[in-house]
Amino acid sequence: MAKDIWAVAHIYASFNNTIIHITDSTGAETISRWSGGRVVRADREESSPYAAMKAAAGAAEEAKEKGVFGVHIKVRAQGGHRSKNPGPGAQAAIRSLARAGLKIGRIQDVTPLPHDGTKKPGGRRGRRI
Amino acid sequence: MEYVRIAENRIGTVIGKKGEIKDKIEKALEVKLEVNSGEGVVHIENKGDDPLGGWKARDVIQAISYGIKPDTALRLRNDSYQLFIVNLCDIVGRSKKGIIRQKARIIGRDGKTKDHITELTGAVISIRGKHVAILGHADDAYLAKEAVEALASGLPHSVVYKSLEKKCAEQKRKNTVEMWRKR
Repeated sequence: MAKDIWAVAHIYASFNNTIIHITDSTGAETISRWSGGRVVRADREESSPYAAMKAAAGAAEEAKEKGVFGVHIKVRAQGGHRSKNPGPGAQAAIRSLARAGLKIGRIQDVTPLPHDGTKKPGGRRGRRI
Repeated sequence: MEYVRIAENRIGTVIGKKGEIKDKIEKALEVKLEVNSGEGVVHIENKGDDPLGGWKARDVIQAISYGIKPDTALRLRNDSYQLFIVNLCDIVGRSKKGIIRQKARIIGRDGKTKDHITELTGAVISIRGKHVAILGHADDAYLAKEAVEALASGLPHSVVYKSLEKKCAEQKRKNTVEMWRKR
């Protein structure tokens, strides 16, 4: 088993879920993939920091078994015409990866930003509640 | 490592008297700040063990730049606090008049609407230029952000208040139930 592999942890923190996807440095080979929904029962808790923490710990465990030594982190929010702030799970996930014993390299925000894209939904009087 | 662009007239606030606030941020988050006051860019270098230090420092400086008081902004060093920045251009469009109108709706007469949202959610709101910055406890700030976005997109105040009150009450109840369950 190879040692001292640097991998990339893609963290997609939306307001409904947190997905932690660890790949090799090219991004083509998945090493481990976890999400908040694997940890908790209720739908509305999928995005909670607790779920993100548990999911990241699980992903880190799996990655370490496969010889990963450290990870670079790419955090992503929904982006586009949706929210550009990462959800509540992002910070918890990063912290959990660090605590699980993985070395943290660079942290990067890779939220897709539109260079003028599609229109936000809702009319003149907004989205009716 | 990281860098933030800040508003020209907030550079003084970020640095503070004799670098007081800059020192405070550096000490609280274990980072090194380098302020380029000509271009209004702050470079952040992480010094401590916490991988999130640089990120949080970026948020703190951004919060100050968008008009939140430095002491309030430093609440962000707590994990459970979050900063949201809403760009009104994204919702309203580029029309200057439209932005002024929606800004006025968010603020309200003598800041009534703004204060009401702050009172209900506990999140601090600051409106500056085309941006609204919202800082608070993660869930509360999210509710406040939703309310601000709803107002900016044109919903009437009464509807926004009603739904916000309902959501706040629900969250409060949820929090108390969870508190009991964990012990």
